[in-house]
Amino acid sequence: MIDIGFQLNGVATTVTCAPGDTLMVVLRRLGCFSVRYGSSTGETGAAGVLVDGRLVPADVLLVAQVAGHDVTTVESLNVATGELHPIQAAFVEAGALQSGYSAGAMVLATQALLDKNDDPSEAEIRDAFSGILDRETGYVKVIEAVRRAAAMLRYEETEPMEPVRVEPLGQITPGAFPVLTDVPAAVPRLVPSPDIPHTAVVGRPERKVDAVRLVKGNASFVDDIELRGMLHAKVLRSPHAHARIVAIDDAAARALPGVHAVLHCGNTPRVKYASGGQTWPNPKPWDQVSFDDKVRYVGDRVATVAAETPELAEQACRLIDVTYEVLPAVFDELDAIAAGAPVIHDEPDTVGIYDAARNVSHHIEGQTVSDDELATAFATADHVFEQTFRVPQQQHTPMEPHITIGWLDGDERLVLRSSTQVPFHVRRMVAPVLGLPVKRIRVMKPRIGGGFGGKQEMLLEDIVGHLALATRRPVRLELTREEEFVSSRIRHAQTLTLRTAVDRDGRLLAQDFYVVGNTGAYGTHGFTVQSVTGQRALSAYNCPAKRFRCEVAYTNRPVAGAFRGYGAPQAFFALESHMDDIARALGLDPVEFRRRNWVGVGDPLDIIPQLGERGAEDVAPEDIPRVTTCATDECAAQALRAIEWERRLDPAWHRPADRPKIRRGLGFALCMQATSIPNLDMGGASIKMNDDGSFNLLVGATDLGTGADTVLAQIAAEVLGVATDDVIVYAADTDLTPFDVGAYADSTTYISGTAVKKAAEAVRTRIVTRASRLLGGVDPDVTALRDGRAWTPDGRSVTLEAVALNALHTEDQEQIMATASYVSPESPPPFATQVAEVEVDVETGELTVTRLVIAVDCGVVINPTTASGQVEGAMVQALGYGVTEELVLDDDGRPVNARFGPYWIFRSDDTPPMETFLVQTMEHSGPFGAKSVGEIAIDGVAPAVRNAILDATGVAINAIPLTPERVWRALHRQPPRRSSNRPH
Amino acid sequence: MNMTSVSAYWRPESLGQALELLDRPSAVVLGGGTKLSAAPSDAVVEVVDLQALRLNDIEPGERAAVSIGSAATLQQVADSDHVPAVVREAARREQPSGLRAQATIGGCIATGDAESELLAVLLVHDAVVTMAAGAGVVERPLDALLAHLPVPAKTILLGVTIATSGVAAVSRTARTPADKAIVAAAARRIRGVRYVALSGVAYRPVLADRVADLDPIGDFRGSSEYRRALAAIHLERVAEAIS
Repeated sequence: MIDIGFQLNGVATTVTCAPGDTLMVVLRRLGCFSVRYGSSTGETGAAGVLVDGRLVPADVLLVAQVAGHDVTTVESLNVATGELHPIQAAFVEAGALQSGYSAGAMVLATQALLDKNDDPSEAEIRDAFSGILDRETGYVKVIEAVRRAAAMLRYEETEPMEPVRVEPLGQITPGAFPVLTDVPAAVPRLVPSPDIPHTAVVGRPERKVDAVRLVKGNASFVDDIELRGMLHAKVLRSPHAHARIVAIDDAAARALPGVHAVLHCGNTPRVKYASGGQTWPNPKPWDQVSFDDKVRYVGDRVATVAAETPELAEQACRLIDVTYEVLPAVFDELDAIAAGAPVIHDEPDTVGIYDAARNVSHHIEGQTVSDDELATAFATADHVFEQTFRVPQQQHTPMEPHITIGWLDGDERLVLRSSTQVPFHVRRMVAPVLGLPVKRIRVMKPRIGGGFGGKQEMLLEDIVGHLALATRRPVRLELTREEEFVSSRIRHAQTLTLRTAVDRDGRLLAQDFYVVGNTGAYGTHGFTVQSVTGQRALSAYNCPAKRFRCEVAYTNRPVAGAFRGYGAPQAFFALESHMDDIARALGLDPVEFRRRNWVGVGDPLDIIPQLGERGAEDVAPEDIPRVTTCATDECAAQALRAIEWERRLDPAWHRPADRPKIRRGLGFALCMQATSIPNLDMGGASIKMNDDGSFNLLVGATDLGTGADTVLAQIAAEVLGVATDDVIVYAADTDLTPFDVGAYADSTTYISGTAVKKAAEAVRTRIVTRASRLLGGVDPDVTALRDGRAWTPDGRSVTLEAVALNALHTEDQEQIMATASYVSPESPPPFATQVAEVEVDVETGELTVTRLVIAVDCGVVINPTTASGQVEGAMVQALGYGVTEELVLDDDGRPVNARFGPYWIFRSDDTPPMETFLVQTMEHSGPFGAKSVGEIAIDGVAPAVRNAILDATGVAINAIPLTPERVWRALHRQPPRRSSNRPH
Repeated sequence: MNMTSVSAYWRPESLGQALELLDRPSAVVLGGGTKLSAAPSDAVVEVVDLQALRLNDIEPGERAAVSIGSAATLQQVADSDHVPAVVREAARREQPSGLRAQATIGGCIATGDAESELLAVLLVHDAVVTMAAGAGVVERPLDALLAHLPVPAKTILLGVTIATSGVAAVSRTARTPADKAIVAAAARRIRGVRYVALSGVAYRPVLADRVADLDPIGDFRGSSEYRRALAAIHLERVAEAIS
């Protein structure tokens, strides 16, 4: 051990540490929790600190290197409780925080930049932030935050972040498209609707309820606690894509001093489960166990160790001697279901696999007409088009990897503090695996550093539970970044074939959609993701005859699961590419062709009952779900105006005279999602009133950084007539909060929000009853709540504090509180139109996306800042899906790009300008008219970019990502190359 | 991924002391540390941190040259008015901001990343690397050093000197504007003499102006065939840009 002295936040500090300790590890040990793990390569920037005023990643710096230097963390700014430094205030006001996992580094990056340059350009800001990856915001509001911080530090006035109201255009109008006035991209463009009710809190860009804790870097996340005697777990993972474990010798590992447990298939109960965090009963097949005697992908679990330090645990893993019988492997979904492929699930105890011998985990069928009727529709159509598309595995890459800390409390109940989207599902699912009743388990979700669906799983909790029970010590397990890439979950790769019949007027007559999904080694979410692929592709357009068929293939690739969009991005890449190509073949404008067919209010969503989570349902015609709100026309008008769509008709714009190798193009895509799973998703909320007229709101809903807690607080505040900060939110603790399915299926605002509204309305009833009495016996029905008071129609009022004190202490005492829950029979879809502008170098194939615009109909917007932030972040994630992102394996199934540099998610300095329009509709089934907004923007970028390339070059590309080589091969008519075990 | 284990940390005050420390078994040079900490390895090493040697100056030299200390960070290079514009831009592109503030040009040279645009740019600027070893201080052209990487044991890179005169240009193809180039070509023309280098077409960036000499190694970002095609295009483009 060595002693290292340095200045930490201005205070002379000496630490005793190992020579190899990183600065990140030591700073966290010293309580600087704002310095967070994102990787060990410095690529995420989540561990950014200032060393002598330079922003550097503390995860690649040895603490010894800073001996004698000044180290600054964001804690240096946190001098007064409740107060913010101007930079922190700017981040809060601009809505630049989502999960806030990297907020400390972002604030410090701003400080370092502004110390050198008090008025940086956008390019300089983007460059300064190039070292901090942000998977959540799309960087738009971060850049605005830096600008605002600079202005505040120059003592200039800053405008409030009020949304800009944009007049509705009514419809797509050909001809001139006047562009909007110049306002920062971070400011949401809000298109009003006349039937939206007046509200005081809902609809306001309220600051996030967790903003202070996030921007100050306060202890908030799973890893931000320290437990005495905590052990560190590591997982030994398979080096083979497919192998049987013949023998495991763990003697050397167990003999290592400091090792407390070694678990594997030889000493762990074999309890079958499906890991997807879904409603009871979990969809089959239940094809996993904690530790199996067979491995099915490189990175699969083999064993786990709990030891005194992470290094010891790693060392012990290396000492476990595993004898494998290596088996042939298959990686491509088409190869996997072909005759002669190696059988991946040959174990006898898995039930519910559709056809294990053919590696088909699920077979899905749904159709709105008979096969004969479908065949007739195709046979008699004027035109029939057929295309096949391929989409790859995309990784979520949340900045916070999966992490779980577990311990036995004083009552010997197992407590799991976990980065999960589904704490209640996890509690129910992990119980049988551990052999415990549900009541002996508590799952807590603190702040989460992004999830995007990847944390809709029971992924680490069973391992940590096993180890905590085995050792009776607290156990911490955090995935490394490489494990996060390979061994967590990933978006399903698919091969999608669309066949479409069209009449001479460009109206759809029949759609036949066949998909082979790649679920990887296990079938979690295999049925539901692929069902959604069918639902989305066959719901966006009116068509009298539809059929969906799908086979979900096991392969020896990493395990696919839930990912933002949940099957829709795959569907819309295929569908919207296909629609563009049909329009081109018919000589129609691609938007006009779509407009003739896209669904509107009242149109049936008739494929949805055929592809439900609980199987096909025979529904009466009057029970077929229909579109209840839809502003696609307005969305298209806004997006086309903003992107200046008329430039498509200008040859000079397509071929810039001064850049002869460049072609420009514009592309369009329609998007559609759902809002929750009808009759299935349920959320609960509980509200209680405090002495001062404030309220505690307890919800099971899980805010992953999306702003859900803020939106729920706004809904409660609106009903209760108080400010948002009078509602204190506590979320997602299975012991303390009501049940909620969790954060998925775009359900939180709609389902949990309605539960909150119902609970608030019940509390409101109690308040106005008592207030009316205090006001002399007026009719409670005419008593209004606003501004923290109860009001009579003639202007008399009493404070809610007085009401609370009366209720709690004075007269006919009671705790004013209520609990409510909600499940919806409906799932009103949000709609969006996505447009993209690109440049293509026709010699090299290099693609540059130069602009993205989206217009989203998400119902009534509860919080324009958080809603537009969701949309911006999703667009950038979608841009990666379309242009760069694909987990590539070598011929043996080993990942070759499982780190950020080679994999490449978009950085601040290469994200194109983006603009977001929120086109409001009044969805009467949602709380205050809201639909969902969190996922839809993931759907359209890839096809819009692909279609823009088509517009620019005339070349249609039917696979993503649209890498330079893929574009080059298409341009130069070179045969596709075979890569990553998948022919493209 | 296993990380390099560090068993001892040394911060010598002089070059002689540093060279002496490098005589220790398993001793390695620590520049910025970004590569050492991030590279997967089972190695256990003692690190010799050169920060006290003050090897980070960037100074104009004689005869239209600039001397860059090996410990100069990529950000220092990107910010220096003494450094030619294309070198500054290549240094900026080499890493994102945080790593750029810590990574050194010496580390960049010692690593010899095949896709380093900065190394290609340095090559066309006649880069000569100064190194210290037991036998004394020697100079070696960058292309020769890259061809024989790794840097010999018990050797410390002191700096690199590059020419600043002439007209230079870079042409590149990448997945995104900020991504590392799949293939980049750099060229410089001085008094009628043309220097051309490529990254992404060999194990190391190389001086080359003929595609026929190349046999690129393909990977998921670009096949051998594609890299060869890009090399031809970019060679033509940079030639035109400096003509």
